[in-house]
Amino acid sequence: MGAAMAGADRIKRRLLREAVRENLAVINGESPAARRMRREASRRWLRRSLLLLVPAAFLGSLLVVGWATGLDPAWVLGTGKPDGRNPGTAEVVPLVPPPTGVAAEREGLAAGQRFGPPAPLDRAALPLPVRTIILDPGHGGHDAGTVGPGNLVEKEIALDVALRLRNLLADQGFAVLMTRERDAAVQLDQRAAFANASAGDLFMSIHVNWIPNQRARGIETYYLGPTDDPFLTQLAAAENRESGYSLSDLKRLLEGIYADIRRDESRRLAEAVNRKLFQSLSLANPRLADRGVKQAPFVVLVATEMPAVLVEVSCLSHQDEARLLADPGYRHLIARALFAGIIDYARTQTAERGSQLHD
Amino acid sequence: MTESNDILYVGIDLGTSRSAVSASNGQRHVVDSYVGWPVDMVARKILKRPVLVGKDALDNRSMLDLRRPLERGLLKEGSERDADAVRQLLKHLLGLVGVGDDGTPGSQVRAVVGVPAEALRVSKQQLRNVMKGLVGSLLIVSEPFAVAYAVDALLHALIIDIGAGTSDLCVMNGRYPTESDQRTLLNAGDWVDDQLFKLIQAHHPEATFSLFMVREWKERAAFVGKAKNPVVVSAPVKGKPTQLDITEELRTACEGLVPPLAETMIDLIAKVDPEYQEKVRNNVILAGGSSGIAGLDKALGEALKDIGGGRVQVVKDPVFAGCDGGLAIATDADESDWEKLTG
Repeated sequence: MGAAMAGADRIKRRLLREAVRENLAVINGESPAARRMRREASRRWLRRSLLLLVPAAFLGSLLVVGWATGLDPAWVLGTGKPDGRNPGTAEVVPLVPPPTGVAAEREGLAAGQRFGPPAPLDRAALPLPVRTIILDPGHGGHDAGTVGPGNLVEKEIALDVALRLRNLLADQGFAVLMTRERDAAVQLDQRAAFANASAGDLFMSIHVNWIPNQRARGIETYYLGPTDDPFLTQLAAAENRESGYSLSDLKRLLEGIYADIRRDESRRLAEAVNRKLFQSLSLANPRLADRGVKQAPFVVLVATEMPAVLVEVSCLSHQDEARLLADPGYRHLIARALFAGIIDYARTQTAERGSQLHD
Repeated sequence: MTESNDILYVGIDLGTSRSAVSASNGQRHVVDSYVGWPVDMVARKILKRPVLVGKDALDNRSMLDLRRPLERGLLKEGSERDADAVRQLLKHLLGLVGVGDDGTPGSQVRAVVGVPAEALRVSKQQLRNVMKGLVGSLLIVSEPFAVAYAVDALLHALIIDIGAGTSDLCVMNGRYPTESDQRTLLNAGDWVDDQLFKLIQAHHPEATFSLFMVREWKERAAFVGKAKNPVVVSAPVKGKPTQLDITEELRTACEGLVPPLAETMIDLIAKVDPEYQEKVRNNVILAGGSSGIAGLDKALGEALKDIGGGRVQVVKDPVFAGCDGGLAIATDADESDWEKLTG
């Protein structure tokens, strides 16, 4: 009985400590993602330090042995031949086999590169698994977005899909943050700032399309880039209306970003999402058109600092798609398809980079 | 260093519809989460106060710029008036337990406030800003955690806190709940009110009534399953008070809560370590103002049969469970922790 009470007391103490810690993080303006990243960074630092310490200790011991036995240190280290003598078969056998193939390249430790200039940075060398996802339901508050038949409103559909997607992602252990969780107006610069401050690994803005040609239907996915298409320029202007950025801000942001490596990542994400969206929705919407992956300068894509896409999940201007969008089942299908697209992208990342995606 | 006997510990459940407060001096109060300012000079003269809070505000709403400043358990965004209203509401709650000019100074108060399980960091920061100066130290916790603390269900339990704005579900595993242990649903008391309003409007298009009336009808007779008695209410039809039978509408609206709650409950249980799932199934605890819907515990218990059965209980004091838990947390927290949370 006493032990049980002591156990309960211990649990209470631990929970209180954790509650206080969480509050202090909020006071210090530290996001859970940032805290996690900081923890991981220190773990990484520790691992790297250990990795460096082991060979250093090994080399140090060799030097001591060399000094004690009167051998040339250059020969002992394998960096040269002592006095013109061929070391022949008397090689120093490392305790840990050296990395080979991809692993060796990745660590820049291949023979002859050990002390040379740093190799060009390979994308695959950067372990950037997807952990924190920022979902951005388009519009909100006084900004309803497009309005379809039967008072179907873009801001509501976008929020509904985003909430469903959040649950699906959270169930898989992703940290999911949303730029809005209710019918509230949030400026586009605030959305981007939130995503950046939360250290998101990817950003997805969810919208519903409205196309003047009311026979047009389908899905399309955008990533950041310039466009000459007048319709896309008009669409971006409409979506950017509530941006909160001045023209000069935008110009500065655009100049900094068009050349960014992040754009390639955004394209890959856009392709994965668009593919899954088309595959899944075609089952319920057989005449769905794949309007493809496109580039456009939407503000939320410009100002976010992580791979970012904007998805037009269907078309409210098309009667059939508006009817489908009114159906929660179809909206859930959209959420599932977006989820599958994100997973696809995250898996490719993991496979290519050999890093650990949390299951 | 402050002497602990000068300190007043307070637990607050800041709810969308009702807010409750418990304090270490034994005071306990609940108020309607409404704040109103007189609309003009005449109203100010009649009401004789610059701001009204709770039932007072509700009763005099025709003369007030009435605000329900919390939305889904958190501050509404965008309006300074709403932020001010939350501050007034908190000031009022603290005043009820003796904090203020004539009682304990705010700086001597250590408060724990419960917020929805999935409240965003920014929302917590907003709340902190609003409470600045009202209390000396503040700890914000997830509402279901506060409930779990109140009923000592910190290990192998599932808390379902059904308020007006949100239903918060949280599995307690003996650790501070993380995102994956918690869910917030928007299917809660307000959602039932909206459904009921629409259903009655559809069935009795000639009747006129307000959302306040619907809320009152729901609070009087909410149920799921079999009705004990017909639910008959009075509403004007072309100006003439008329009896309306709303039994079916009330049942339908309330039963709408069951599927999302059951689905989320089962989903959360399925994620618990298999070794402990049975324990959690048998320790499902309902709290919050809307947990009083008659038969809701049985309906959720029925849903558990699909995964091997379990036990759903309603806490003894659903309205105060959250703030009582907050108070218990406040008194249990270490002095050194409170010092860190000062300011």
